[in-house]
Amino acid sequence: MNKPAKTSLVGRPAPLVDGIEKVTGKAKFTGDLNTHDALVGRILRSPVSHGRILGIDTTHAEALDGVEAVITGKDCNKTYGVIPIAMNEYPMARDRVRYRGEPVAAVAARDAETAAKALDLIELDIEELTACYTPTESRAADAPLLHDNKPGNLEREVHHTFGSTTDGFAGADLIREETFDCAEINHAQMEPHAALAEYDAERDRLTLHSVTQVPFYVHLTLARCLDMDSSKIQVVKPFVGGGFGARTETLNFEIVTALLAHRTGGKVMMQLSREETFLTHRGRPNTQVKLKIGLAKTGKITAVDCEVLMSGGAYAGYGLVTILYAGALLQGLYDITNIKYDGYRVYTNHPPCGAMRGHGTVDVRHSFEAILDRMARDLNLDPFTVRRANLLQAPMFTSNGLMVNSYGLDECLDKVEHASDWAKRKGKLGKGHGLGMACSHYVSGAAKPVHWTGEPHAVVSMKLDFDGGITVFTGASDIGQGSSTVVALAAAEVIGIDLARIRIVANDSVVTPKDNGSYSSRVTFMVGNAAIEAARAMRAKLIDAAAELLDTDPDSVECEGESFFVQGSSQSELGFHEVAIAALAKEGTINVKGTFTTPVEAQGGKHRGGAVGSTMGFSYAAQVVEVSVDEDTGQISVDQVWAALDCGFAINPLAVEGQIEGSVWMGMAQGLCEETNYLRGLPTHTNLTDYRFPTIEDSPPIDVQIVESIDPLGPFGAKEAGEGALSGFPPALVNAVADAIGLDANFLPLTPDRVLEALIKLRRAKRRKEANT
Amino acid sequence: MTEALPQFTLVRPETLDDALIALQATPDAALSAGGTDLIVRLRKSLVGSDTLIDLTGIKALNSIDPNENGLRIGAGVTLDQIEHSDLIAQTYPAVVKAAASVAGPSHRQVATLGGNLCLDTRCVYLNQSHWWRKANDFCLKYQGDTCHVAPKGNRCRAAFSGDLAPALLVHDAEVEIAGPTGLRREPLGDLYVEDGATHLTLEPGEILVAVNLPASNRTSDYEKIRVRKTVDFPLAGVAVACDTSQEPPRLLVAVTGTNSRPFLIDPPDDPMLSPADEAFFIALQKQVQKAVSPQRTTMIAPHYRRLSVAALAVRLARRIL
Repeated sequence: MNKPAKTSLVGRPAPLVDGIEKVTGKAKFTGDLNTHDALVGRILRSPVSHGRILGIDTTHAEALDGVEAVITGKDCNKTYGVIPIAMNEYPMARDRVRYRGEPVAAVAARDAETAAKALDLIELDIEELTACYTPTESRAADAPLLHDNKPGNLEREVHHTFGSTTDGFAGADLIREETFDCAEINHAQMEPHAALAEYDAERDRLTLHSVTQVPFYVHLTLARCLDMDSSKIQVVKPFVGGGFGARTETLNFEIVTALLAHRTGGKVMMQLSREETFLTHRGRPNTQVKLKIGLAKTGKITAVDCEVLMSGGAYAGYGLVTILYAGALLQGLYDITNIKYDGYRVYTNHPPCGAMRGHGTVDVRHSFEAILDRMARDLNLDPFTVRRANLLQAPMFTSNGLMVNSYGLDECLDKVEHASDWAKRKGKLGKGHGLGMACSHYVSGAAKPVHWTGEPHAVVSMKLDFDGGITVFTGASDIGQGSSTVVALAAAEVIGIDLARIRIVANDSVVTPKDNGSYSSRVTFMVGNAAIEAARAMRAKLIDAAAELLDTDPDSVECEGESFFVQGSSQSELGFHEVAIAALAKEGTINVKGTFTTPVEAQGGKHRGGAVGSTMGFSYAAQVVEVSVDEDTGQISVDQVWAALDCGFAINPLAVEGQIEGSVWMGMAQGLCEETNYLRGLPTHTNLTDYRFPTIEDSPPIDVQIVESIDPLGPFGAKEAGEGALSGFPPALVNAVADAIGLDANFLPLTPDRVLEALIKLRRAKRRKEANT
Repeated sequence: MTEALPQFTLVRPETLDDALIALQATPDAALSAGGTDLIVRLRKSLVGSDTLIDLTGIKALNSIDPNENGLRIGAGVTLDQIEHSDLIAQTYPAVVKAAASVAGPSHRQVATLGGNLCLDTRCVYLNQSHWWRKANDFCLKYQGDTCHVAPKGNRCRAAFSGDLAPALLVHDAEVEIAGPTGLRREPLGDLYVEDGATHLTLEPGEILVAVNLPASNRTSDYEKIRVRKTVDFPLAGVAVACDTSQEPPRLLVAVTGTNSRPFLIDPPDDPMLSPADEAFFIALQKQVQKAVSPQRTTMIAPHYRRLSVAALAVRLARRIL
């Protein structure tokens, strides 16, 4: 493996540059922004799952004292959606409602109480239609169509074949096929949704502050839905309390708040309750995975046949990308030639799903790693042995055109196998205790963005001025993952200055360069590289000025620790300030920029949908999970986790550790207890008592190890670190439970009731078998 | 944002008498102490009153007093105080375990014994926002006329979900109730009826003021079934106690979370079975499974609650017998 270059700043644990604001409470989130002169916005939501809107009577609401505006679907006839070819959603329903909770109207009033009263005064006349809540219902011959242009309620179907699965299965020594049912889940980020919109009628200018991960998409969508020139719109992202994909697309309430502000000519603050945040949804869809794998008796994979069915909810959203991701990342982790993938994304009368950490890859990876383990058992091979029989050799391209330039999976496997003392303890922990392992990976950004304009993928600009401070401008959305810190560290490292001299200005569309957003873990790789290029340009200017002062060639000048000097010379060093002044004297305020563009070869295969899954590089992870299972109650305790992640290079090991812990933990949450539930379309999980994720009492110690494969194209060799370890946890959990109590679970989450029911079935089957022998 | 609180009047009596007078004046007023359940229900528009009577200022409700008969715990004593009371731990260990298991540490700092004993029943169709319940035509317990859990039945099936009650039941607790006609006492079990809509037998104008526990040398224990290790209400909870004042020792079992009331379950009464016989535990498991009647008030299947509470009862019984 490559060795990292010598560095002075990056590669060392660094507290986040905005950490102080967060822990002291100084950080302003959207809901904290000054609203003394703002109206309160509220949304009226459909009480029925599927219906035709016959009329909405807003007269009584409008007449209520203190109500400044009431709007409905009539006030915006533009659809929106994050995928340009699949925009079939209105900010407020027009003609038809398709899920309980869908916005149908909105009010702006002087206070919360008046707004709530106004909602109750709006009269809805909706003719109910039959609703479809499951794929079976949606695909039935007589099912009502949720979208007239989508027969069979199929948003998208995908059929990919690489190599020959017929040959592959023919050559297998063992074939196993199973079906997994993975529950729909939600991001449940700490901060509920909020947006603050202000419209200046004099100047025809709109400003939106919002919780978004994608200010650029929001900007475009506002221009479209409000029929405004985008040059009149400003989008600002304050501190954000968690994204995880909940906010990787423009959300209906953002548009509605802007529409209310436009209508009133003033300021409107909309803060969604936790229930409304759950209703806005965009979470991971319920996914059924039917997976068949062929193995040689060495454990080498000979063929994979995967069929995926996703219940996507009522609108398209990210749907077609999700169903493509599910198949695409079957590859890139192991060496597999023969793959057949068939994916189906189906509409249902539920809140629309979207992207959630790991996007469409998680439930498929879960199923894959679980089956692989069972096959290892059948072949009498250790699960680690099976993984090692399938390692990739970098550099290479997968058969679906995904680029792999760095690959640290083998080192990850070694590390967790050793740390968990696997060889000695696997299968030997006693009844009710078990160990399980799994591997996973994720992209470092989609190499082909959603809005493909031909522009660079990332632009970072920098300014040096008379005050001696270096300001870095980036549109990259820090949503808590530490992207601003990565940019600051990269800049300080390359220029050769103290981190404290850097100021980050982020996410103000009037000031900062466009960035595509924080999704698919693109920011470190793309924005990091752009920051490095900008920093190099800044450094060059400073070096030139220093060279003049030192009367030498720029090539002989070094800059380290804010000192400029000639290597090997006894000449005195120059301080940063005097060099800066000399540089400024030549041209005044110095502005430089850096960009990053993905090379064509990274942009995926030529087949339809081939761009999805394409990336500059994958992170790789291996983990071991240790559990205790109570066979009388079905309750599972996760006792310990060992995880290793290859992130290429840890620009900030402190943040990387946090991301690994967070992804492992989120995978654990999905494995143990997260799920949405609906009663005829009404969600029963809309608060944090009923939507369960693990508390600190449920959380095990997580032993984290960082592996650095030094990606040749990554910034300092870095790849992503925020999603890679997630999809390995659920299967490691299932595999550990199998080790502990002999139960092979084909469902997620592994809640006590499901585990106990499965155990009872297993015992009954065992008894029957024994009775028959 | 949470749903806006409605306007309400807050009355803050300093004595029990003032509280009783305030309650007489506004019979539908909601009694408030820690408010950990009340505030949530207020935001969900589940409280049919715009007057709250805050009991936290009444010192007479706030003490733990040993006496010659046993122990008296004021209804205003917090769960945190109970959790950390050596006195209660020594003699009524199940009560300490039950208190320690409720919600999270910050709730327990303000939540009270009285509040937990009088906890309103819970159901997936009830504990929802106004928008949700309106979309579902409300329910029999509040603002509607159908119990969605058992539509063909004639009563509300909401489940009682307090943890302290069963732990107190296995120690023969009595409750002290103050009302317009004075003070009265009754066994804790009589405080409840099997009706999710009106599960408390408190008369109009009455306030629960204390729990009295007789002197005891019973061992006891309490545990609850939930998906997570903390925070959640019980899917079911079970308390056991062992009365060694007779031979063979007598087992007491009480449950919560399965019915609209907490209640004692008679242990197997076959004289041929002695406790600590394997057959006794098998019979106990069946007895508990038969005695409880969980309904679809939770998304977790009722059958799971039945099986797991019975298994837990046996586990706890094994521990103390």
